[in-house]
Amino acid sequence: MSREKYKEVFLKSLSIESDKFKEELEYNEIPEWDSIGHMSLMSDLEEEFNISLETEDIVEFGSFKKGIEILEKYKVKF
Amino acid sequence: MNINEKNIKLWSSIGSRATFGLAVLELGKSIDNLMVLTSDVSTSAGLDRFKKAYPEKYLDVGIAEQNLIGIAAGLASENYNVITTTFAPFQVMRCCEQIKVNLGYMKNKVCMVGIASGLVLGNLGYTHCCIEDVGVLRSIPNLKIISPADTLETVKALEAVVKNKDSSVYIRLTGSSNNPAVYDHDYKFEIGKAIELVSGEHIVIFCCGTMVHHSLEVSKILRKNNINAKVVNMHTIKPIDKEAIKNAIEAKLIVSIEEHNVIGGLGSAVAEELSKLGYKNKHLTLGIQDEYSEGGDYKYLLDRHGLSIEKIINKILTTMEKL
Amino acid sequence: MSENLKKISISIRKNILLMAKSAGSSSAHIGGALSIADVMSVLVGEQMKLSSKKNGYSEDERDRIILSKGHGCLAYYAGLFEFGFLSKEDLVTFEKNGSELLGHPVRNKKKGIDFSTGSLGMGLSLGIGVALAAKKKNKSFSVYVILGDGECNEGSVWEAAMSAAHFKLDNVTIIIDNNNFQQTGSNEKIMSLGNIKSKWESFGWHTEQIDGNNIDEILSTFKKISEIKKPKAIIAKTIKGKGVSFIENNNVWHHSILTQKKYDEAINELNSFL
Repeated sequence: MSREKYKEVFLKSLSIESDKFKEELEYNEIPEWDSIGHMSLMSDLEEEFNISLETEDIVEFGSFKKGIEILEKYKVKF
Repeated sequence: MNINEKNIKLWSSIGSRATFGLAVLELGKSIDNLMVLTSDVSTSAGLDRFKKAYPEKYLDVGIAEQNLIGIAAGLASENYNVITTTFAPFQVMRCCEQIKVNLGYMKNKVCMVGIASGLVLGNLGYTHCCIEDVGVLRSIPNLKIISPADTLETVKALEAVVKNKDSSVYIRLTGSSNNPAVYDHDYKFEIGKAIELVSGEHIVIFCCGTMVHHSLEVSKILRKNNINAKVVNMHTIKPIDKEAIKNAIEAKLIVSIEEHNVIGGLGSAVAEELSKLGYKNKHLTLGIQDEYSEGGDYKYLLDRHGLSIEKIINKILTTMEKL
Repeated sequence: MSENLKKISISIRKNILLMAKSAGSSSAHIGGALSIADVMSVLVGEQMKLSSKKNGYSEDERDRIILSKGHGCLAYYAGLFEFGFLSKEDLVTFEKNGSELLGHPVRNKKKGIDFSTGSLGMGLSLGIGVALAAKKKNKSFSVYVILGDGECNEGSVWEAAMSAAHFKLDNVTIIIDNNNFQQTGSNEKIMSLGNIKSKWESFGWHTEQIDGNNIDEILSTFKKISEIKKPKAIIAKTIKGKGVSFIENNNVWHHSILTQKKYDEAINELNSFL
């Protein structure tokens, strides 16, 4: 469930269609995931999973996969 | 722009420069004759998206601020709606005479946005801080000066200026990312009209830029000490809202707080009006006391210059004891 | 045609002296106006598309002129008179209290003055902005900027010079009034310009060096460079005070009082050229 929700947040927050998405997606790989897109994504993830991300985790959150690792620290179950 | 809770929160977290970038991107959609000019600071000013989306509306003139203003004025004279931006000290002081001649004297209308004004880049030293911009520009006729209180006000100020260009304007952006929000919902913004955020009958606090949020926090703590402070957001320093100052003259203490030299900025503008009104009580001017201190990060420098919430409270309380 | 332009240049010189005399004890920048009288004659008499009654180009088509060496305004006002923007009554208000014709141009669209100048080093940047606007709007008008040689001391001139080449503005032509003097002495003495031609060339400008008081040469140069696809610089070697023997190369006349007596002497000399 969470994995689906997680992917949905990515698509909605970055305003991309599923054809532009892949599990290997990285920060700055697509124009939508630039520094501003990133802050927007962080904000939406916080809201969706009801958490508050530490600055260091926001900085480390460099890819879709890395994000899973980080969210698991905040007790999000995938 | 869509002013809703989510965006307000986003803008607050990304800070005023990135918010400026988003706001300009939105303006680019509807304003055909918009031109945005910078001096090699596209990324720092949050303009990378705008540059990609509207390359024909974007111009980088390189590290040449005098040329920046001349070119901006030339474009404005041919009916372009021009915004210029670079770091505040360079935006205002490197090309000060060009601002005087091209914008003040010749009245070409340009919106200048000074990014990272105040103390936020303090660990780079005072060449990259700006505590003089308001003071320097106030004496140039035909130029308005706005210091937005938060990122939402940055958006509203920019929209107001660009849509109704009756003179050149300088917008001073202060604060960093995670810029605390003063407003959590949309509100009416009018250039030249101060906004009373909190009412209070004991003392009056006139503030601008990041000091508005600080002043709100200060007023909450003062209230616990049974001191009711009126907090007025003086976002437009020139033309100053004389009515707002007139309404304060019964107060036994007026405090002006700004992230700027106490000489020449908001405090001076308020003092000028108070003097004309014959105000006989105490006017406490909080800001940078005319010095270039040692460097440090933003929080360190605000505290160093007495502009942390704690220091502001102490100063107000000690001043009130002596009244 | 050049005969006509020579007559206009004499008329311009006479009006420069008339305005200087009207200014009385306020004094006037005489030397640096006389030096560019020939360039001005060619610009307003032939080269520029103007919007006055004589030519009638629209706002979108007419050329723009920026007198970056704003203190040369007597030549500029005299040029505007030749083309119907200013009247004789206007000219004699020069530097009088409340006048619209000051010792440096002040923007006044009705009188054909597009830009306020006077603080040296700023006019070329303005010209770059105007030229960019023309390119963006696909308009064919040209921008002419007149600079002083001493003015080239200002760093801001070189910021603008660099950007004109970067932005490939072939619709900008500058004329540098190279009369070898600035306010308190010769360029050589105050701040040597070095090889001014190679300086502009190295900044990416097509540069010509001509006799700036020779109308035929000015005319033929404008024709020669018209199709060049780079920003264009004409270094006009002139004589400061050209046309009046006691003013020529005498830097006292950079900014001075013109008495009735001296005025009469000067007019007599100019009349002898007719």
